[in-house]
Amino acid sequence: MKQTETKATAWSMVLVPLGIAAVMTPAIMLAASGSGQGFDSVVNSIESRYHAHATKIPFMWLVSGIAGVATHGGVRGLHVAEFDDFKGDGDGVDGAEFNALIEKHVGSGWQRMVRETTRKTGGGGGEQSLIYVRAEGSHVGMLVVDLDGHELDVVQMSMNPDQLMHEVSKHRHHHDKSDDSSSSDGSDSSNGSDNKAAGESE
Amino acid sequence: MMKRSGVWASLLALGIATGAAGIALGQDSLPEPSPIEKTLAERATHVTEVTLDKNMLAFASKFMDADKDDDKDDKAVKDMIRNLKGVYVREYEFDKEHSYTGAELEGLRKYFESADWSPMVHERTKGVAEGTDVYVKLVNGQMQGLFVLDAEAKELSLVLILGPIDVDKIGKLGGNFGIPKDVAKRAQKEAGK
Repeated sequence: MKQTETKATAWSMVLVPLGIAAVMTPAIMLAASGSGQGFDSVVNSIESRYHAHATKIPFMWLVSGIAGVATHGGVRGLHVAEFDDFKGDGDGVDGAEFNALIEKHVGSGWQRMVRETTRKTGGGGGEQSLIYVRAEGSHVGMLVVDLDGHELDVVQMSMNPDQLMHEVSKHRHHHDKSDDSSSSDGSDSSNGSDNKAAGESE
Repeated sequence: MMKRSGVWASLLALGIATGAAGIALGQDSLPEPSPIEKTLAERATHVTEVTLDKNMLAFASKFMDADKDDDKDDKAVKDMIRNLKGVYVREYEFDKEHSYTGAELEGLRKYFESADWSPMVHERTKGVAEGTDVYVKLVNGQMQGLFVLDAEAKELSLVLILGPIDVDKIGKLGGNFGIPKDVAKRAQKEAGK
């Protein structure tokens, strides 16, 4: 009798953790992949709605890592998906439906900042640009969905605006300094006149 | 009995709709898009929609030229943007002239109009549904909002800026956040009068 009880306890010790793992694994996998919302969800929804296949850039994690190091954390978490020869419904996409699809799958926390639509003329697929942002602590997440004719790109990244602008301004000062030194040698200097405001025109 | 409850339901719905339209500009938060915008977008060949709340403006302002902080004037513009409560821009371009009606323009004006806002400019072109409207929100003598509805033959622009605005700096907002340059310049000219 005692032996049977010990056996049952041993079994429960194995089965309970297994049961918990079985229940938790899909949830953890879902959270880790981010397929519940954001980039993956948006790409998957486009793939299934328009029967298209996205090309993911190989070694994107490496590019993302290099970007993070090069900008000292200014940019990180780069994700890029390309749809070449995207036909939509055969003759482009319905702008309102496309927008609703992205809106549904982008998930909570993301706010649409910009939507630009150009109706197709002739055989083109028209243009649709959607920019979403969300707060991520010191960083700001940005998700861009851009359809231009038959090319559709989805890009997500996380940026630290302060760090990024610090890096940009550092390089700009360096550039201006080298311009100054070359102008003191008698050569012409543009004096950074091409430095147009970064925030100008969405 | 059914008829009476139907009447009450209709009255309630009308009351809610009127209230929502009335408070569209009364609050400091950005309004929900007007239903007219949807129909305009369906007819337009090119549509630009920019919606920035306070947080997004703070973020976007960081990407403005950092080097220009040395310029007092540009720093003041940046500070003004940082203190804004929201920017709402809609721009519609049509391939045919007057693809919108006078009733739609009136509907947009009514949707954004409220007691807090004072009309500053009402410019009309005779015989066609074209014109410019500029409304300002004044609180204790300070401009706390600007609304511009600019209707041209093939273009319709709607700009709503909420928050403390420096009249002399409005023009500098043009070209930023989807605000058309000409609309910003015009608003500055009219508001500065």
